[in-house]
Amino acid sequence: MTKSILLWALAIILAPFFSAVILKVKAFFGGRKGSPLLINYYTLIKLFKKGSVYSTSTTFLFKLGPMVSLCAAITVLMFLPIAGQPPVLSFNGDIIFILYLLGLGRFFTIAAAMDTASPFEGMGAAREAYFPIICEATMFMILILFYILTGKLQLAAYFSGAHPLELWQAAGSPLLFVVISFFIILLTENSRVPVDDPATHLELTMIHEVMVLDHSGPDFGFIEMGSFCKLFFYSTIVASLIFPFELGHPALNMAVFFVVLLLVYVAVGVMESVMARYRMDRVPKFVLTSFALAFFATLITLEFVK
Amino acid sequence: MNLFFLSILLIVSGGILALILWRQFTVMKAVGVFAMSAGCLLGLIDALAKLFNPGQYSFSVDYLNVLSLSFKIDGLAAFFLVAIFAVSLLAAIYSFHYMDKPEKTLRTAVNYLFFSLLIASMALVVTAENMIAFMFSWEIMSLSSFFLVIYDHQSPENRKAGYLYFVFSHVGAMFIFAAFGIMYGYTGSFGFTSALPETAKILVFILSFIGFGSKAGVFPFHVWLPHAHPAAPSHISAVMSGVMIKTGIYGIVRMYWVLDLHTPLFGEIVMIAGMVSGILGVVYALGQHDLKRLLAYHSVENIGIILIGIGIGMIGVSSGNPLMAVLGFGGGLLHVLNHAIFKSLLFMGAGVVIQKTGTRTIDALGGLLKNMKITGVTFLIGSLAISGLPPFNGFVSEFLVYLGGFQGVALDRTPFVLSLLAIVSLAVIGGLALACFTKVVGVVFQGEPRSRAAENVNEKGPAMLVPMLLLAGACVVIGVFPRVFVLMALKGVLSLGLVSDTVSLAPFVQMTGNITLAVAIFFSVFLLILALRWVLYRGKTVSRSGTWGCGFTQPTVKMQYTGSSYAASILAFFKPVAPLHEDHPAIRGRFPNKTHYHSHVSDIAELHMGNVIVRPILWLFDQLRWIQHGDIHLYIGYILLAIVVLLFFI
Repeated sequence: MTKSILLWALAIILAPFFSAVILKVKAFFGGRKGSPLLINYYTLIKLFKKGSVYSTSTTFLFKLGPMVSLCAAITVLMFLPIAGQPPVLSFNGDIIFILYLLGLGRFFTIAAAMDTASPFEGMGAAREAYFPIICEATMFMILILFYILTGKLQLAAYFSGAHPLELWQAAGSPLLFVVISFFIILLTENSRVPVDDPATHLELTMIHEVMVLDHSGPDFGFIEMGSFCKLFFYSTIVASLIFPFELGHPALNMAVFFVVLLLVYVAVGVMESVMARYRMDRVPKFVLTSFALAFFATLITLEFVK
Repeated sequence: MNLFFLSILLIVSGGILALILWRQFTVMKAVGVFAMSAGCLLGLIDALAKLFNPGQYSFSVDYLNVLSLSFKIDGLAAFFLVAIFAVSLLAAIYSFHYMDKPEKTLRTAVNYLFFSLLIASMALVVTAENMIAFMFSWEIMSLSSFFLVIYDHQSPENRKAGYLYFVFSHVGAMFIFAAFGIMYGYTGSFGFTSALPETAKILVFILSFIGFGSKAGVFPFHVWLPHAHPAAPSHISAVMSGVMIKTGIYGIVRMYWVLDLHTPLFGEIVMIAGMVSGILGVVYALGQHDLKRLLAYHSVENIGIILIGIGIGMIGVSSGNPLMAVLGFGGGLLHVLNHAIFKSLLFMGAGVVIQKTGTRTIDALGGLLKNMKITGVTFLIGSLAISGLPPFNGFVSEFLVYLGGFQGVALDRTPFVLSLLAIVSLAVIGGLALACFTKVVGVVFQGEPRSRAAENVNEKGPAMLVPMLLLAGACVVIGVFPRVFVLMALKGVLSLGLVSDTVSLAPFVQMTGNITLAVAIFFSVFLLILALRWVLYRGKTVSRSGTWGCGFTQPTVKMQYTGSSYAASILAFFKPVAPLHEDHPAIRGRFPNKTHYHSHVSDIAELHMGNVIVRPILWLFDQLRWIQHGDIHLYIGYILLAIVVLLFFI
């Protein structure tokens, strides 16, 4: 239990570092030296030191938005088995709770954006409401597959201990589809290229960044922290899937796991460097691909299991 | 049963007293509301007692010495009574300040009379134990709600809505009559018995499903719903949408229990109807510009969720999986209660908005949260609950339905495919509902006022605000401490005896404990963040300024994102089922003329109902016009002919 809580705290502390890896990779591809790996900590400290400017249009919801989204992201991390260790919390059906908790965070992020009366933020909010619908359908499709394989609805039953390896043994190669579709969800839910470009400078083309235009100071720091945690959550799931093995020594296991996790972040960085953002009306098709993959993985596995 | 009938008597006397006292506007309202709410409170306490102490509570009387009327309260009836009395109680209190037109005093009095009849008849519908009593109460319910819908009968739109509702509720009743007729034909008694051959049972179930489905608002029989709800006064919409349409659900569950035939076909029909209603309901809701119409379409969506739950339960029964049966039925029933709570809350909130601003158009509102704090916050809680988000009540029932659905994934063939589809559609419905309610909250309550109507509003009228606060409180309490309420729904399910009594309740109690624990941790993390925020902002300069316009220096409120633009991209995805009609003359030339934009999303059921059903029927009746020629002698001939023909049947 203590170990799980320590890992949870470690995840929160390390999340900004991992996100900075993406920036470093992008800088490498751009032929630049790039910002230091601790850049996100510097940014957070800088933001936390500042005061805030609030729009006259806003209400209390504008201040509540960052807190709820951060709170949801941190709570979700409690259910996450990191490096095969059991999570802080786990119960039958926890994955449904997690998905809806992330939905709660999204509701408040959108509400905070709509509070500003800004047309740009409304635009971002509409997209933020749209794309995750397909992601949720995919997540539940994957969940159905995992339920068929394990008979459980628990994150810990999929990703802790020897369970990931059991998933691979039961399903075999169709699980590769699931890895890809999880990766697509990761990109969509965390507003990365090719769905959204966090580094673009044109408000009209953004999703997540445009929704937080009016936030400043510690509030904005909370939002940044929340998105680091959320990215960490999805990346850990992908990492657990591609590194299902248990090495003999726990310390060694942990070390290798974090290296694999780093690779997932590097992959996101590479993706951002070599691809352009899709046109907005192409995005749903891209996200639907993940649903199709998960669906076919389930069908193939069903035959396989029989 | 005495307490039950005493509460009915109190409720109806409230309506009659209101009619007698119609000249004194305030006195009439006070007496009517007091008697009705006292009756509802008594009924609520009685129903709760009967739900937790199951026993034989029945009563019967021979009406006119010919028709025997009998009533009985079992677990299922008691569960529905709780929802009916709780919502009606709060709606009655709400109406005290909502009905604020002294110049329409007689009409208000008539409204109270029919309102009391509606509550009483709903309570009688769910307790009726034979066909006569059931249809008697059912027809009173349909008629009294019809008169409530046409409260504002000066507007032709409302009269049309009332007419549509009248037609639908009577065509629906005809289907129920047909189903009961078949049952009577086989058994020769008016009691609900299952002594029928199997094929007859299937026919009876399908007929009654159509009949009850048209009351519940199941796609494609929901066409009346988005017309009737906006026409009625808001407290009536709250009762109609919150509980009256649930009597349709009650009918479906009751018929399933009466027929006692555990074929998978029933579960399949109910589940497919649920999925279609769920998804299309929320898609059409997204396309609405009228606040109350939008909420009405959400009723279609939630009826869909309830039916998915009940369908999962039926499949659980037919495939011999008691856990799945209990989860499905329990989730469906709990959603009946939850939807009654948050939907009446939302309609009451919409009522306050409409009363204070005078408009129902979403895109004409904005920024109401600043002046209407209580309405805004309670509406927000209702929105979070209807989107099925934790820690609110909608999540608990959807969670149960999900768990039931996952039980079905372990089955094979058709149940597997249906369970898979049910889970995915629940996920899609949840996402769409979130999109729709961020639109409503964002456009109506947040941002800047989009028209004069939305400026300088207030929210006076404690009788309207208190019920909303209570309902919002209930949303949170059920969401955080679901134990008692899940047990309530399970009592309702187990009283049906569909699954053996050996099903242990321990896993369900543990599950509710898990939700409470997870929510408690969520709140503690939130408090930590709140403390952190307080520390970080201590001694800092916090200033106010205009919204960042991305470099544009002359923003106006017209530039805000509207509800239509917010929903546009999602609606484009659902184009095949939700055709969008736009009226927008293009801007041409150097000195363009003034232009406008108008959009309308068609409901395919409404669209095709006109072409496929109404037009052929009108054509047929047109062809029969020669019968009505106006010649009195031939009319007498018709009568004689009819009598002669009838003689052969004696």
